[in-house]
Amino acid sequence: MEARSLPTPDRTLDTSGTLCPFPIVETAKVVRALPDGAVLLVIATDPGIASDMPMWCRAMHHEHVATFKDGAAWKSYLRKRGR
Amino acid sequence: MSSKVKAIGLVSGGLDSTLAVALVKRQGIDVKAVSFYTGFCITETQRRKGGRADGTVPRNEALRAAADLDVDIEYVDISGGAYLDMLVHPKYGYGQNANPCVDCRVFMMRRAREIMEAEGAAFVFTGEVLGQRPKSQRRDTLRIIERDSGLDGRLLRPLSARLLPPTIPEQQGLVDRSRLLDISGRSRLRQMALARELGLTDWPQPAGGCCYLTDESFARKFFDVLDARESAGEERRIDPEDVILLSTGRHFRLSPRAKLVVGRTEVENALLEHHVDGRARLEAKDIPGPVALVEGEPTWEERQLAARIVARYGKGKDLPQVKVEWREGDLVEEYEVAPEADEARLEKLRV
Repeated sequence: MEARSLPTPDRTLDTSGTLCPFPIVETAKVVRALPDGAVLLVIATDPGIASDMPMWCRAMHHEHVATFKDGAAWKSYLRKRGR
Repeated sequence: MSSKVKAIGLVSGGLDSTLAVALVKRQGIDVKAVSFYTGFCITETQRRKGGRADGTVPRNEALRAAADLDVDIEYVDISGGAYLDMLVHPKYGYGQNANPCVDCRVFMMRRAREIMEAEGAAFVFTGEVLGQRPKSQRRDTLRIIERDSGLDGRLLRPLSARLLPPTIPEQQGLVDRSRLLDISGRSRLRQMALARELGLTDWPQPAGGCCYLTDESFARKFFDVLDARESAGEERRIDPEDVILLSTGRHFRLSPRAKLVVGRTEVENALLEHHVDGRARLEAKDIPGPVALVEGEPTWEERQLAARIVARYGKGKDLPQVKVEWREGDLVEEYEVAPEADEARLEKLRV
């Protein structure tokens, strides 16, 4: 996804250094406190985020915007929707 | 049936727990999946070490199952001190290796009961199958798990429910018992047929368990730590850092008071670098080789032996002499040693 088409995050969560499943555990905690429609950027060094984040968003009905590698880290954008 | 009934489903992402969620959900029950993090999952550790040998990263099956079945999922970290204490002092003992499966299930179900109460759910369910596992899935131990966890009558096993006494949600008509199953034993044929019937096509192959505690080699290292602490006059205990190191590297017991851990891959070497505090760090100088840690109080002879073993696993293993750096806090020493060539001795020291 082109950087210019990515939404501006309302909140950024840096999970660098933590490993599966903690990037998702931390994401879940932060998303719970966000208002509906808010965009969260998650930064992770665990490569598992590439498959975990889309699946977690699908299970929880959040909108998975994009997950991609950016240098040594991964960036994941999601928009809170939920049930 | 009211759609407001809520249940907590314990999900690993394996076939049985996936089917259990599907069976409960198709009765119109609102399912919340819970996946416990113990720190001993082999797949998670594989992911932490960068994935499989072929470069692929194993997916998170619990998340996959929740996504496929369209249910909320929560990860719950139970890997702390109370869990580790249970592992060292299991009330119902160990299975074949370091696996106190009954105590572990009781521990998990207690936590699940707390979640059930907090969420206002009516019951907890699992993918357990009567007679599938020799220790934790016998009729008597399934009952013990239910009783000791405080989930009396509120722990449903949908795959074997019709072979077990009716639970409270079945008696209350919240769950239709006639739509639950009567599977028992180790065969997965009925589960596979059910998966096809439910339209589930994507599940991990049964791998004989995903828990390090059931692994013979891991169990040796686990009990070695406990025994060494006891020999040194300390209490038998496992620390969170031990859990990481036990699944990393080759382990050599130099003496009751000293152990050597040698990295096997670049990823393991990098992981060991994070655990240098309180330990000695060894690495061959000028020649590529593994990072290694020594913990405990080695004698001079044991330091030399550790250096020889580290030299043995490096590129200089066929050289007559290799320089090995010993770094311990501010102390830096250099040992010039012959790489250990006595394979029988190495095997004797290997944990």
